[in-house]
Amino acid sequence: MTFSLLHATDFADRLLYKIIPPLKAGMIVLADRYAYTAFARDAARGVDRQWVRELYSFAVHPDLALYFRVPIDISLDRLMARRVKLKFYEAGMDLGWSTNPVDSFRMFQGKVLDEYDRLVDEYGMQVVDAVGSITEQQRVVRELVAPHLVENRVEAIDEQSA
Amino acid sequence: MNSPPDESRVPPATALESAESRIQPGRYYGRGIPYLPINEYPGKLIAIEGTDGVGRTTQIQLLREWLEVKGYGVVETGWTRSPLMQPTIELAKSSNTLNKLTFVLLYATDFADRLEKEIIPALKAGFVVLSDRYIFTALARAGVRGVDRQWLRSLYGFAIAPHLVFYLKVDVETLIGRVLEARGMDFWESGMDLKHGDDIYDSFRAYQQKLLREYGSMADEFHFRSVDARRSVDHIQQELRKHVGAFLEAR
Repeated sequence: MTFSLLHATDFADRLLYKIIPPLKAGMIVLADRYAYTAFARDAARGVDRQWVRELYSFAVHPDLALYFRVPIDISLDRLMARRVKLKFYEAGMDLGWSTNPVDSFRMFQGKVLDEYDRLVDEYGMQVVDAVGSITEQQRVVRELVAPHLVENRVEAIDEQSA
Repeated sequence: MNSPPDESRVPPATALESAESRIQPGRYYGRGIPYLPINEYPGKLIAIEGTDGVGRTTQIQLLREWLEVKGYGVVETGWTRSPLMQPTIELAKSSNTLNKLTFVLLYATDFADRLEKEIIPALKAGFVVLSDRYIFTALARAGVRGVDRQWLRSLYGFAIAPHLVFYLKVDVETLIGRVLEARGMDFWESGMDLKHGDDIYDSFRAYQQKLLREYGSMADEFHFRSVDARRSVDHIQQELRKHVGAFLEAR
């Protein structure tokens, strides 16, 4: 619970100082992780799903939510290639499911991925296959983002002509 | 964050709002903490509520001694006293970066920490837990600051409904007298963040009056036992002992 609430506090602070002001100024805000991370991670830790959703009801609903989906083994390989040790909380070591960080990671992140799958339907997230190359993924992302930008440009023109 | 309107798979908010009639003392108010089931435990949770300077702490000390003499194990807990959060809250209060939302969430975090680490373990071990303030303080303070009441009740759905809630009730005149005698008015107790004006006396009065109204509106909802706190320390203590004694002996 404290883990969940501390993250919510941090999120509220960033929302009010870093996200809402630029949105009001008409800027594009790119959020690397959003409330969905909390929904998935907290639920995987055994916090009530509906409670977390209500907790974050103060958040702004994004115009577009992208979910980069990757199988657990690939994410493990990528992490292990870059660093020797998995982070304690990332591996869900606090839950005491396994003393082996890799096993614990597999179990915990497996649950997190299950939760993300629920979120995709619930919130209409756009899934990006994150197994492919960066170039491929970026092409998909640009295709998904583009329609939102066109819409904005039209609005801007209307304002000028008014 | 709410689901988009076209996908209403998530059931509507329930939690405390409709819980009024089905509050069960000793159980979670709302959705609770799924990984910490609290079906059976021998301890009792008693909350003493009331605004600043109403004499809660004195009453709790006296109640504690009396209970211990009678052979009960007693644990005290208070607002913002968690080792995890107290330094953070003090730091945030001393700067001006705290807005009402983060304010609420920091208090909730502190409470969650004490609930998991102090209150629930003590209840499971059979202690009488005396809580100096409880979630109602947070609900009142945030309510006065315009935070959505339904959201607040849902947030605190992980709290345990105390077996007894005593509300030490005073009027604002009595309160002003006591606070001035004891230590003077401070920035937060005067609600100076609400910017009612520069005058601390006027601000204190206006803020505390709003708080009292907020507590009053919760009395029925959360089954407060109101205790007239304008009377002497001994009188109040006698009344508390009568209720607490009757409750504990009935078990």
